[in-house]
Amino acid sequence: MSGGPAVRVSMESQCERQVQEVSLDGLETYVPPLSMSQNLAKLAHREPWSQPEPEEDEGVWGVFYCGAAACALKFQPSLWPWDSVRNNLRSALTEMCVLHDVLSVLKDKKYMALDPVSQDPSTPQVFQLISKKKSLATAAQLLLKGAEKLTKSLAENQEQRRQRDFNSELLRLRSQWKLRKVGHKILGDLSYRSAGSLFPHHGTFEVIKNTDIDLDKKVPDNYCPLNVQIPSDLEGSAYIKVSIQKQSADIGDLGTVSLFRRQPKAKPGSQMWHLKLEAAQNVLLCKEIFAQLSREAVQIKSQIPHIVVKNQIISQPFPGLQLSISLCHSTGEKKIQRASPDKSKPDDHLYVLEHNLHQLIREFHKQTLSSVVMPHPASSPFGHKRLRLAGPMAYDKAEISSLQQSEGLLEKIIKQAKHIFLRSRTARTIDSLASRIEDPQIQAHWSNINSVYESSVKVLITSQGYEQICKSIQLQLNIGVEQIRVVHRDGRVITLSHQEQELQDFLLSQMSQHQVHAVQQLAKVMGWHVLSFSNHVGLGPIESIGNASAITVASPSGEHAISVRNGPESGCKVLVQFPRSQAKELLKSDVLQEGRWTHLRGPYREVHWGRMEGRNFVYKMELLMAALTPCP
Amino acid sequence: MEAPPVTVMPVTGGTINMMEYLLQGSVLDQSLESLLHRLRGLCDNMEPESFADHELVYLLKGQQGNPFMLRARRSLLHPTAPWHLRYLGQPEVGDKSRHALVRNCVDVAASHSLPDFLNEMGFRMDHEFVAKGQVFRKGAMKVVVSKLLRVLASGNTENTEPMSLSYLVELSILAPAGQDTMSEDMRSFAEQLKPLVHLEKIDPKRLM
Repeated sequence: MSGGPAVRVSMESQCERQVQEVSLDGLETYVPPLSMSQNLAKLAHREPWSQPEPEEDEGVWGVFYCGAAACALKFQPSLWPWDSVRNNLRSALTEMCVLHDVLSVLKDKKYMALDPVSQDPSTPQVFQLISKKKSLATAAQLLLKGAEKLTKSLAENQEQRRQRDFNSELLRLRSQWKLRKVGHKILGDLSYRSAGSLFPHHGTFEVIKNTDIDLDKKVPDNYCPLNVQIPSDLEGSAYIKVSIQKQSADIGDLGTVSLFRRQPKAKPGSQMWHLKLEAAQNVLLCKEIFAQLSREAVQIKSQIPHIVVKNQIISQPFPGLQLSISLCHSTGEKKIQRASPDKSKPDDHLYVLEHNLHQLIREFHKQTLSSVVMPHPASSPFGHKRLRLAGPMAYDKAEISSLQQSEGLLEKIIKQAKHIFLRSRTARTIDSLASRIEDPQIQAHWSNINSVYESSVKVLITSQGYEQICKSIQLQLNIGVEQIRVVHRDGRVITLSHQEQELQDFLLSQMSQHQVHAVQQLAKVMGWHVLSFSNHVGLGPIESIGNASAITVASPSGEHAISVRNGPESGCKVLVQFPRSQAKELLKSDVLQEGRWTHLRGPYREVHWGRMEGRNFVYKMELLMAALTPCP
Repeated sequence: MEAPPVTVMPVTGGTINMMEYLLQGSVLDQSLESLLHRLRGLCDNMEPESFADHELVYLLKGQQGNPFMLRARRSLLHPTAPWHLRYLGQPEVGDKSRHALVRNCVDVAASHSLPDFLNEMGFRMDHEFVAKGQVFRKGAMKVVVSKLLRVLASGNTENTEPMSLSYLVELSILAPAGQDTMSEDMRSFAEQLKPLVHLEKIDPKRLM
């Protein structure tokens, strides 16, 4: 301690007093120190006297005493103020001397040596394992968290896809059907009201989400996320059955029409809701058609009243005939009964009339929507524009009724049914005649273009092999609703009723007339002269069908003559007149002096026409004529 | 010669007892296209029908009470179509829950001598205007979207100017008296037009 140069230690006393102000020349003014009583008061203020805790009382008093002692201590003049400083310095010096001594001993390296602290690189095994486990656990935790997030997002995606499927399906539905949103529900309209129908059915269907699908299992092929709920009275499928039958004797089984045909196969690719909605719309349309028909059947007065029984309307277009229109609606719950007796009968359902009914009701719809109904000026009520003139122009009842639609749906369909029936019966008559009678031949050329109320057919009666020569019988038949109008080639117009027999008789009479006409034409070709011709002879037995016709032709030389009488019932009778010279039974008389009178034609002889050669009448006639014309 | 018997009993049947159910609203010019599209989709499937009408309102001032008003309307696009004479009664003060304005309505078609006839009867023309727009139809409901134009020179329908920058939209049904189900249909139809146009019943007395 006494060796070595002296070290200057500079110190500075802590400024115990606060600076109150610093004057402009740098002189500091200190806050005057607190007097003893002030100090005591400050210390007393610091203590929480209000808290009555008995154990802290001593502490409080202790602090008070210490505080008081500290204040007392401060003003003891015997104590040197630098005492603590001197003590601190002395301890520091001691420490430094010890250090100096240690370092000087160490310099010799005899009694003390320095060893550096060993840096141990290898950590113990257990510690490594634990640290690795921990790090793996953290990594695993991260991966698990990530996997969880992925599965959650996948599930969400699937849910979204299902949602999107529903939305895309809904979009497709909306592109074909009218939809609107009412509250939470999506409702649609499958009625024909926006197309002009006035049927009071609401025709509302509801679109519901199909949630009965298990995502874990495989999605079935015909799965559709959308389902439609149609009104209960439109379920299943329906059609209108129109048929013409012979009048049934008993009325007992009316209204029991239950025949049902198989539903048409669904188009591939069309969704189930589409099929359901289409079927429901069809049911609604059939109901509307039937309602309109039954309303008219009850209201319209006709000669033979129409019967409306349950789902069937029966009317009589012709006597002995019955037209039945029925609404066949099957809800599709029960299978088609196998034991139904109707199965054995052939399906006499007239598809044409069913189609026409649909067309007619659509026409009716379109009429309510035509621009003819729109009001001009805009404030006038809806109605036909020509009817609006009824008032200003003072139309009378006849004019007004001519403006309005007089025929209803039922009348129209009955007329069409009548025409169809008449046409089919005419065809049957002509065909049966054609198959029954070979000579002459009857041909029918039906025209392609018909209307619902009128068809026409051209009937030709010809002889085989002689079509170019004998074509005088050509008939144009115009088949209407109740009558057939026949226009003959020679200009006669004959009206036939709907009776089948009339047409048949008429055709038979025409055929017999044809034979005689054929002889006339043949005579022209063969060079024979027609002596007399009559379409309707008044001689001979009376025919029950039509009249007999007769013709007499003479050979070119005049020596022979042929007389033909042909009737529809009596058949044909052919007589040949020979010259007098060839007649054996003629008596010689002395009136005729000269020989030239023997060239005149004499008596008649009948020809056994049945034993004549030739396949038809005209051929036989030609042969006969040829036989009677001697070769030059 | 005796005069033919004239009944003094009031006529009750036929078209006398028709009631008009009415809801009105308006749209600005720039929103007209979207409204027409909406109506085209909601209403019956037809080609949109445009109209241009000239309406004259006639008043008969009696000694007492309110003057009697008749509306005569003719189509400018169809000059040969008959005139339409209309009487609209007071709105029925039924229950407040009824959604549409209901008033008695008498519609008569008349020949082209109608203005002269009304003048001879003592009616005087109060005002006239031209309405142009489109008519839509849904079943029995009629929707008329019209722009009202003021006629500057009386009788001259070529010189017109629009009264406002908006179109008047009216939804109306003409039905015999006693059928109250119409107002429900009208209200549900008005709901479907809701964000584009608000159709409500507007009492004409409150506007005066």
